[in-house]
Amino acid sequence: MNTTSKTSIYKGITPAALIAVIVMPMVLPSTTLATEILIFALAALGCNLLLGYTGLLSFGQGIFFGGGAYAASLSMIHLNFGLLSALLCAMIVGALLAALVGALAIRRTGIYFVMLTLAFSQMAYFLAYTLSDWTGGDNGLLDVPRPALEIFGIQLADLTSSQAFYGFVAALFMLIFIFARRVIHSPFGSTLVAIRENEGRASAIGFSTSHFKLLAFVISGAITGIAGALYAMLLNFAPLSNIELMMSENILIMTIIGGTGSLLGSLLGAGTIVMLGDILSSIWPRWMIILGIALIAVVLFMPAGLWGGIESLMKRFRESKTSEPDPKLQQEAKS
Amino acid sequence: MCFSKMKKLLSLAVLFSASSAICSAEEVTIYGVKSLSGSFASYGKYADMGSRLAVENYGDLLGQPVKYSVIDTEGNAGKAVRKVQEAIRQQGALFFDGATLSSTALAIGKEVDKAGGVFMTPAGADELTGSECNNATFRWSVPTYGAIHETVEPLIKAHPDWKRWYTITPQYVFGEALLNNAKAVFKAEGIEHAGNSYHSLQEQEFSGYLTNAMAAKPDVLLLLNFGGQSSNALRQAVNFGLKHQMKILVAWSSGLDQLQELGPQVAEGVYFGAQYWHTVDTPMNKELVSNVQAAYNMNPNYPMAADYIGTRIILDAIAKAGTTDGKLVAQAMENSRYQGPTGEETVRAADHQVLKNYYLLKGKAASDMQDKDDYVDIISSGQSFPDESSLDCHRG
Amino acid sequence: MSLYLFQALNGIGLGMIYFLISVGLTIIFGLLNFVNFAHGAYYLLGSYLAFTIVSLSGNFWLALLLAPIVVAALAWVTEKTLIQRAYHLPHTFHILITLGIALIIQELSISIWGPIGKTVAAPPSLAGVIQLGDFFYPKYRLFVIAFTAVIALALWFLLERTRFGALVRAGSEDAQTVSLLGTHIHKLFALTFALGVGLAGLAGVLAAPIRGVHPFIGPEVLGLAFVVVVIGGMGSFVGALVGGITVGLVQSMMTTLWPQGASLMIYGAMAIVILMKPYGLFGRA
Repeated sequence: MNTTSKTSIYKGITPAALIAVIVMPMVLPSTTLATEILIFALAALGCNLLLGYTGLLSFGQGIFFGGGAYAASLSMIHLNFGLLSALLCAMIVGALLAALVGALAIRRTGIYFVMLTLAFSQMAYFLAYTLSDWTGGDNGLLDVPRPALEIFGIQLADLTSSQAFYGFVAALFMLIFIFARRVIHSPFGSTLVAIRENEGRASAIGFSTSHFKLLAFVISGAITGIAGALYAMLLNFAPLSNIELMMSENILIMTIIGGTGSLLGSLLGAGTIVMLGDILSSIWPRWMIILGIALIAVVLFMPAGLWGGIESLMKRFRESKTSEPDPKLQQEAKS
Repeated sequence: MCFSKMKKLLSLAVLFSASSAICSAEEVTIYGVKSLSGSFASYGKYADMGSRLAVENYGDLLGQPVKYSVIDTEGNAGKAVRKVQEAIRQQGALFFDGATLSSTALAIGKEVDKAGGVFMTPAGADELTGSECNNATFRWSVPTYGAIHETVEPLIKAHPDWKRWYTITPQYVFGEALLNNAKAVFKAEGIEHAGNSYHSLQEQEFSGYLTNAMAAKPDVLLLLNFGGQSSNALRQAVNFGLKHQMKILVAWSSGLDQLQELGPQVAEGVYFGAQYWHTVDTPMNKELVSNVQAAYNMNPNYPMAADYIGTRIILDAIAKAGTTDGKLVAQAMENSRYQGPTGEETVRAADHQVLKNYYLLKGKAASDMQDKDDYVDIISSGQSFPDESSLDCHRG
Repeated sequence: MSLYLFQALNGIGLGMIYFLISVGLTIIFGLLNFVNFAHGAYYLLGSYLAFTIVSLSGNFWLALLLAPIVVAALAWVTEKTLIQRAYHLPHTFHILITLGIALIIQELSISIWGPIGKTVAAPPSLAGVIQLGDFFYPKYRLFVIAFTAVIALALWFLLERTRFGALVRAGSEDAQTVSLLGTHIHKLFALTFALGVGLAGLAGVLAAPIRGVHPFIGPEVLGLAFVVVVIGGMGSFVGALVGGITVGLVQSMMTTLWPQGASLMIYGAMAIVILMKPYGLFGRA
């Protein structure tokens, strides 16, 4: 692993993400599609922090996504919250829900952990559908506003147009992306990876692993909550499907398909899955067969996800370029 | 290379927007919002066939052939709304037909309203022409009020000795609406409501609820769920022998496709409420059935008929208005009276509700069926709608 | 007969079906340490095959015999070609690959049988009801209870009293030792996977006359199976039986007590069991 670009959070994949964010609205059929991709990329990013860097496979991401969507929508509808305060509200609610789910779920490991998150996901769905006075139940929460960007009452930007809203989402995405990289490259991040690699050893060294896991959950929930809020603002609508198990499953699939070794993988995964649905579904109603095949193919041939595949391609490309590889260096790289 | 490609893209975009501005005066595109993939595929497939056929059969409109473009909702309200937004912004879409799910229909209605377009839907939520009504949204399907009045009332009138009714209701807005209407009718007709079982939106096992119903010993079991849930509830009710102990009414069936799923063994002797049935004797329905037979070699079912007529109403309104201005087209639709599949149908201006017949059907024995789709006899039909003075719809 | 007593009987009937849905999942997890998210899809396939066989031959018993065998054979092929290569990977990849398989089965089913659901009639000899006091119970459901009990006994015998069962149990403890004993562990894995999935197919056939066949039933069945297996203990045969009947009873009783909360209760029960008894009621650490 080359250390230079990994340690500096403003180099390496950060400019790559920035370029992707700038190019996306130009090459994609519409800015709303690009916005949807970025929103799900945020959700996948949150999931990636748990799965890729902490090794926690959570089927509860839909709880935070839906919770964030409801929190932002309700605070704007009933309390007249502005854009940033609504997002803050969604972030806090996402974090609190994640703290609650996390505190209980991390008491178990492996498949039992997965099953706990799955159970909480079903219970959250039940709550959302029962509290229909607040959530709109099955009809969904309608008339969600998309306020202008204001700071201290001064309007900075009107986000009514899809381009302006994309710009805002893109800026927020980059901020969170950089924040997530900071987290990963902090001592806290290295501890998370240590927990993923060998929890027993990490706790033997003296880390309180459950505190670290819980904090990872909270950060993940906060990011996912923001994503949910942005989705509600994009659609002016918060459907019940936000909090369904399907949503959790989709976020997971995006994360894994993209690759859990890198944050850029989350953008790639979200982009692939959203575009696949968007393009293929209008051509062939049974397009999910292709999704199924893609899932199997990733497991069998590309366990590091699409980003991992790209990385190994680039590596092979680079190696073929260097005329005479130093056998000693190769040895080191392998070990 | 990258630069030249970008330039090409940009010039294409300019060309596109320019051409759409020129053409939009004449060329009409109907956007079909259909659940082709995802868990409501059983509905979307036929709905799409209906809209497509309506466009194909229409011929020229404003001097040009009509175009049809389908938007797959993927069975997900969020995806549907985003794709509708995209169609509105990128292609200047104005005319939409479809949406199975109430949530999808409600949210799309809002988007189309903002764009000043027209949206016709057969979805079930009363809010569409009630509290969430707007200038763009029109609804073809009879609301829960009519579905209850046109099924429960005729049965009570014909069988005064059916005095005790038990209801099974899915617990959410739509189920509650059916239940409240049923309770009002029970009260007005002096019927004893022997009990109600609520069930959740995901329930597929009804034996427990049917046992409760059995214990209440009613004369009639009224099922207020729909789709897969009503199929399973009915199937299990028949397994439990309830058909021999009481009458069963499925107030909101989806018609032919549901009867094809259930088959005559289950359906025999059971009453069904339906928005449409293909043997209805009206001129327009005869034309519809022969068109569908010619195109698809089958009888039209409810989703197909609803989206066929829904698309047709929009096209007729565009022709009448002589323009593709959404607001003028919506005005042309208001108060229009036309020959629909259920006979004479009217678009009520106050709430954009289409006033049309709702049907009470009764399942036939397999031995009495004249052809493979002859599952029921039409017992009665009629129009019942909440009075104009009592509407929840207040349009700005 | 009181309402509650009848609901209890009904709950046991439901529970036996839930047992059959779940037992395959638990056997596969026990031996292979493999999480099969395609379990619901194989159930679906069993139901659809039953529909096709019954509509072609008019004979339900033929479907009951053939459909599970076809499903098991398909599972065996899938194991050989795909699943086998994922054993060494973490659970994440088990979930991903079987989700992929589930999607393919579901979408292919729609392509083959269409999006509208199907009804499978119970065999004529089992149509009708039996009267129990004020209540009626379908003969077919009684048959399902009895038949599942026989299957449970046969399975118990297979797992506890045969060489195959001994190997499966030993393999659950320590797969490496078993392979050292000279057994073809790959063959054993493939057979176990086929057996577990075949049981899901059998559950699909048996449930078809009760639930009908609908292309999107897979995820619901899968969720239920997980609840049963987790409550009973992953990998435990007795756990699946007790878990199945518990869930059936809870569900049936809830319809009288607090129907809206039935699904909440089931998933709540699962969460509580995991938190209080991490390995379920009958699982081993």
